[in-house]
Amino acid sequence: MNLSKLKFKILKKTISAIIFIYSGLIFGQEPNQSTLFSSLLDKLSVNFESNSQWYLNDSYVNNPVNPNQIGEEKLRTTNYLRLDYSLDDRFSAGLQLESYTPENLLNMSKLYDKDLGIATYYLQYQTKSLNLTLGHFYEQFGSGLILRSWEDRFLGINTALRGIRLKFNITNHISLTTLYGRQRKGFGNSKGDIFGVNSEINFSNMFNLLAQGNLTAGFSYVGKKESYERIQNESEMEIPELVNAFSSRINFAHKNFYTNIEYVTKSKDLRLNPLSPTSGVSFSESKTFKGNALLWTVGYSQKGFGLSYNFRRLENMRWFSERSYSYNVTNPTNQLSVNYLPALVKQHDYSLANIYLYQTFPGLTVENYQDPLVKAGEIGQVVDFFYNFKKGSLIGGKYGTKVNLNMSYWAKLETEYNDPDPTDYITSDNLTYNSEFLNFKNKLYSDLNLEIRKKWNRKFSSIFTYINLFYDKSYLETGIFDKVRAWIGVIDNTYKFGSGKSFRLELQHLSTNDDARNWMGGTAEFFFNSKFGIYFNDSYNYEESNVPADTKVHFYNTGFSYAKGASRLSINYGRQRGGLLCVGGICRQVSPNTGLTLNVTTSF
Amino acid sequence: MKTKAIAFFILFYGLINAQEMLPNVELKTLSNSTISTQKIASEKELIIISLWATWCVPCKNELDAVSELYQDWIDETNVIYYAVSIDDSRTSNRIRPMVNGKDWEFEILLDENSDLKRAFGVSTVPYTVIVKNKKVVYKHMGYTPGYEEELYAELIKYSN
Repeated sequence: MNLSKLKFKILKKTISAIIFIYSGLIFGQEPNQSTLFSSLLDKLSVNFESNSQWYLNDSYVNNPVNPNQIGEEKLRTTNYLRLDYSLDDRFSAGLQLESYTPENLLNMSKLYDKDLGIATYYLQYQTKSLNLTLGHFYEQFGSGLILRSWEDRFLGINTALRGIRLKFNITNHISLTTLYGRQRKGFGNSKGDIFGVNSEINFSNMFNLLAQGNLTAGFSYVGKKESYERIQNESEMEIPELVNAFSSRINFAHKNFYTNIEYVTKSKDLRLNPLSPTSGVSFSESKTFKGNALLWTVGYSQKGFGLSYNFRRLENMRWFSERSYSYNVTNPTNQLSVNYLPALVKQHDYSLANIYLYQTFPGLTVENYQDPLVKAGEIGQVVDFFYNFKKGSLIGGKYGTKVNLNMSYWAKLETEYNDPDPTDYITSDNLTYNSEFLNFKNKLYSDLNLEIRKKWNRKFSSIFTYINLFYDKSYLETGIFDKVRAWIGVIDNTYKFGSGKSFRLELQHLSTNDDARNWMGGTAEFFFNSKFGIYFNDSYNYEESNVPADTKVHFYNTGFSYAKGASRLSINYGRQRGGLLCVGGICRQVSPNTGLTLNVTTSF
Repeated sequence: MKTKAIAFFILFYGLINAQEMLPNVELKTLSNSTISTQKIASEKELIIISLWATWCVPCKNELDAVSELYQDWIDETNVIYYAVSIDDSRTSNRIRPMVNGKDWEFEILLDENSDLKRAFGVSTVPYTVIVKNKKVVYKHMGYTPGYEEELYAELIKYSN
């Protein structure tokens, strides 16, 4: 019997077992049956999600400019089944089964290729002042700059920690979290040990300081321990097994004003040296480097008005529970990331607004050109302004007009390097660098977003969006030498017919003389009622350009969705552009593909 | 294989109507203190919990639409609407100015690491539930224009 047949048999058996258990539960629910089952059922919550893709051939995918990256397996399905059981108010337990058959979806991490397995499990004891978890848990310290273990199925990320976590409220004003664990790596665990301590202190509750204000502070420590096997033996330098990070933060709010600041330091660690990606990830073994992060937010808001400002500087902050995962070329989906460093730019739903989307470069790497490019981190800022023109005012009209203005600016850190013994085009392991603290001159990205929401009458409303952006493609997408200046306009109209029936028409245009030049796009969506809807959208690059993969190609999608209660089913057929696919500030590279997608989620 | 697939669907359908307890999850307030879902559910007989995010257009459409009707809903059913944001640190700084800028009167809570989202078992927002006496009596995924009328009808059904 060959392997795939065997796999199929195992899968079949497991499914039968699941069905057998479930049928027990179903019968348990019927009246006059044992009440044991129904009381079990009340305490059990079940969530199921299934995502399948069937990759098809078409003229675009077969085009020589898009070499086929899809591979052998054209039909792939991933499934998540999560079971949580609460015995009483205190004890609960749960597990998550996952299956990736015959392998993970296109461009997702290969770590997960497995027919079926228990991915995470936990046992929890909870009282008012104490929470003890054994097994897998998700945790975030502060804003996640120092630690965040999380799950995003769409991005194919799950960095749950497996170990032990104790949360304890020392008083009403001071809470403490301690944890130890190893990060999830596919269906196993990473080699690095993670230790963490976090405390949150609420001063205003403690001393009744401010009648209308609030002052809180937080302190965290996270350590990662991982041994390192030296490849070159000539260097005498000691390579740290334990990398320590500390975070301090303060939040202050008074009436309509608020501000918070967080500072993180990370102790010395090796520098990634991506000289030979094919022969695996390598590190420079003669110098180590520290990292740090600074985040500051200040804002003022009152009824009908909101203003906020964000500043962030990241230097050498990429951090993984196994060093070998720190190279984004070999780990494009950010597996095993210890902390969370998202791009702080406005996130858009519209397709053309997601072509040039900023992604962060918070790590330290050196790219070897004639003049080496030292990428040490980023610095930048965002301003957000919200205003509601009141009903009855000149601009407000009968229903009011809502305006949002958002601007951001991001730059590479200014650095000076010193390399005592370089060779042609190749930097040495002895390279060191200095960075400037506040220097915004190396612009990588900037944008201005204006959004106006207007309701014309009871049935008809519109959203107008204008985006003007600059995108340094040569820095942000290695290997391509282009800087893009573009503007995007979107008009999104919705008409309500009543009783849940509605029609939405969205028109988009992207204008630029750079890169793949102009695009137009649109979406038409019709909902028959609040449960069932159909849609069609298309993005079309209508000009000749130097980017053959994006020239005169339609990227269309069509499908329907049906939602009832906590269940949703959607099917769509379409063509996906190759390149960066960004969701939630995290981008992953996708191969061009055409195909049919089926998503099912349900919970009970 | 076909019969098994059918069995699967029957089984899901059979379980969908089961009433369930509101999961107990710790959330944050805008002033950075913690509050549990158990606590907010025990303070009022009838509450709505709606998961949303600043980057989600349908979510904002839903909150804009409900916002216009919210005072009437309170008068008629004494409900409290909790808009629980799943924004993480990428966008969470936009919550406060957006809520005020849009003049929303909802109670705003934060689910920064998606603990409640995970406990509800949803992968997309918006997701809206009605909770009566700590039990989840109604769930709805997504927002379509005009859906607020359906939500109102459900609310009236459970307000007595």
